[in-house]
Amino acid sequence: MTLSTFILKNAFRNKRRALLSVSSVAVSLFLLVTLQVALRELTLPVESPGAELRVCARNKVSLTNPLPARQRPIIEKIPGVEGVTPFTWFGGQYQNEGAMTFAQFAMDPKETRTVFTDFKLTDAELARFQSEKTAAIIGKISADKYHFKVGDHITLNSTVYPGALEFTIAGIFSGTADDRMMLFHQDYLDDSIGTPGLVGMWWLKVKTAEDMPRVITAINQAFANTAAEVRAESERAFQLGFISMLGNIKTLIASISTVVVFTLVLVTASTMSMAVRERFRELAILKALGFRRRELFVFILAESFGLAVAGAGLGIGAAYCAYTFGNINKMTHGIFVSFEVTPRIMGLAALVAVALGILSALAPALAVARMSVVNGLKTLD
Amino acid sequence: MAETIVKIRDLTKIYAQGEIQVTALDHITLDIAAGEFLALMGPSGSGKSTLLHIIAGVDRPTSGECLVQGVDVTKLNESQLADWRNQNVGFIFQTFNLIPVLTAAENVELPLLLTQLDRRQRRKQVETALEVVGLGDRAKHLPRQLSGGQEQRVAIARALVTDPKLIVADEPTGNLDSHSAQEVLTALQSLRRDAGKTIIMVTHDPKAAAFGTRQIHLEKGELSA
Repeated sequence: MTLSTFILKNAFRNKRRALLSVSSVAVSLFLLVTLQVALRELTLPVESPGAELRVCARNKVSLTNPLPARQRPIIEKIPGVEGVTPFTWFGGQYQNEGAMTFAQFAMDPKETRTVFTDFKLTDAELARFQSEKTAAIIGKISADKYHFKVGDHITLNSTVYPGALEFTIAGIFSGTADDRMMLFHQDYLDDSIGTPGLVGMWWLKVKTAEDMPRVITAINQAFANTAAEVRAESERAFQLGFISMLGNIKTLIASISTVVVFTLVLVTASTMSMAVRERFRELAILKALGFRRRELFVFILAESFGLAVAGAGLGIGAAYCAYTFGNINKMTHGIFVSFEVTPRIMGLAALVAVALGILSALAPALAVARMSVVNGLKTLD
Repeated sequence: MAETIVKIRDLTKIYAQGEIQVTALDHITLDIAAGEFLALMGPSGSGKSTLLHIIAGVDRPTSGECLVQGVDVTKLNESQLADWRNQNVGFIFQTFNLIPVLTAAENVELPLLLTQLDRRQRRKQVETALEVVGLGDRAKHLPRQLSGGQEQRVAIARALVTDPKLIVADEPTGNLDSHSAQEVLTALQSLRRDAGKTIIMVTHDPKAAAFGTRQIHLEKGELSA
């Protein structure tokens, strides 16, 4: 027998309790990893290829206030601008779905390749999209979810504009940061609602990264002191601004994570205390046989640490497997496109497990250190 | 004349129970010779277990000296005492106190984990100790698979596996039937006779005390005979 065998036999002397302890740590850390990944996915700006050269220009008052379409030629004339497209939120619901499950934007199809360089779309699909007024292109995730095929006709009821619009699927794209959205003609929207001349916002592409600050300043200045002042910013800054609106969700998730960790510490500490308390007499015997305080502390710490690490291995491992090999898009009905368990998140959960192992061993270890052999022998007599 | 293995001088132990002070040992002076089988007798609360605990280095006196093999155990710190106990004293308790998840051999091996012996040497000593108490064939049995008498004999094997000169036994037959008690006492007797161990045994039972080479009585913390 070795000391590690002895520790292992002690840890699993009450198999049910050991199993429940490991399970509680595993479930809690699974939850912690899930919350942290969700928080990351919600707050991480979308990393889209080509984003570094894209500028978003919206109404300075609010994102919901439209901009006049007449601004477009002024923007196009700014040196360094390669292409401009309107980008107007439609807010359509598909069939009888109570909520909008994918975003739709009206745009200028001719600028598809210029502004959105990351789109993977065949030339035939793009040509059809550009040539038919009612044509729309949709991301692969949504297409797969609703089994849309090229040529299908779909109707969306707008929650922003009165009535519904019918679209023809001209192409299915992929390779973007959000392969769920749908794009269609701004002209079609204008014609349908009968109030042309307004767009949601402008998305534009600049020629080089060096042009970016100058173009942004030029756009902002071009419409300063007009009825529709513009706030232009890089796509990354726009995404971050969007994320800042999720401030409360961030706090909420952080609070839940804290509660999870705190509860976990209490549960594990209580389990360890119970496990040690019922072995007080045996630990007193070990002391009598010559085991010193530090050796008994190592026994308790190793046991507590072992349970925490076993739980962590299971919990973090299960989360990693579920979110890496599972179809998160299907699991969350399209709410999350990706759900990446990063090394940083796994490291954080492992750190929590290590701290848990140490913290929950402290109180029982101190009690054992203070215990005299004589008093220990008297327990449970 | 045999050398004195335990030399106790003017030993006093006072327990504080709230505001009340209880004198468990009152200026005890006692010599125990090497190779003795001393039976410490006395009624409950007479201080016999306290005296045994102080000799074994698991309790400290309020005043006085307790020299075991020339070492004043009252002067050692916690860590030194732990090492000293491991090398010099074998313990036998009334309730056996075996670790339930370990086999008989593993229980006996426990004190050896603190020594420099390698696994093979430890196994050899464990086998020898179990043979001495007549349980060589029960090495792989868990405590619950043994009778009370066998459990206590495993505890005796654990006490002698480090080959200490001194073995202390606190009511070793208190939880045993008469047949098992006889077995245990015979085993202790042969340890003294064949291996030259010094044994100090606390007991209520005059029949058990009769196995000793000397009997002393404690009464209200004082030696009465």
